[in-house]
Amino acid sequence: MEKLHKPKKVFVPGAISPQFIADSIAKHQSKVNIGAHAIFLGQIRADEKAEGFVTGIEYSAYEEMAEQTFHEIREDAFSKFDLICMHIYHSIGLVPTGEISLFVFVSSGHRRAAFEASEYIVEQIKTKVPIFGKELVGPAGEYIWKENK
Amino acid sequence: MSINVLYFGMLAEISGQAKESLSGKENMTVSDLKELLNEKYPQMRGKKFKVAVNQKIGDDATIIPLSSEIALLPPFAGG
Repeated sequence: MEKLHKPKKVFVPGAISPQFIADSIAKHQSKVNIGAHAIFLGQIRADEKAEGFVTGIEYSAYEEMAEQTFHEIREDAFSKFDLICMHIYHSIGLVPTGEISLFVFVSSGHRRAAFEASEYIVEQIKTKVPIFGKELVGPAGEYIWKENK
Repeated sequence: MSINVLYFGMLAEISGQAKESLSGKENMTVSDLKELLNEKYPQMRGKKFKVAVNQKIGDDATIIPLSSEIALLPPFAGG
């Protein structure tokens, strides 16, 4: 019988700070059955558009459905991979270029499960979670709605 | 019957609001709703979006039950 995991709050306002990520890593030092961590960080890229460079992304979401979908992705990943723990954080609101908007952190006994789960989880997030992004472009306050490829 | 429609992203811009209550009919499908919205907001025609019925993605044939929460979801951009 799989243990059930409580739904966790995924959305954090604004950018995810490097300090928050460092603190998350430090919290795992007491879990000595872990032998491997895999971390994926999504960072805002300064893409060049006709109107200028992207300066940031303003994220919005259908939050109730998104939190539920994140929960389903977590449960699915726990059932597919031999993981000890999993944390997912995603920004909501404005994240400037160069800052972190997605933090996926999986831990397992050995490397293979962590590598595979992190890729799987990120791909699931990209295609299934109702999050929307407005790419802010150039100095004049123009924007383009982003679409995952 | 009334249905509550939530708009997100560019669809909220087109409709000029985040949500509204529309009057629908019994056994209305997602396809019927799209037609109604295209009439009301001509700029929505041709836009790519998914329709969630009570937080589950539906297809054109999905029936919209009484007092459902409908969400119009433009392409996802998380990550």
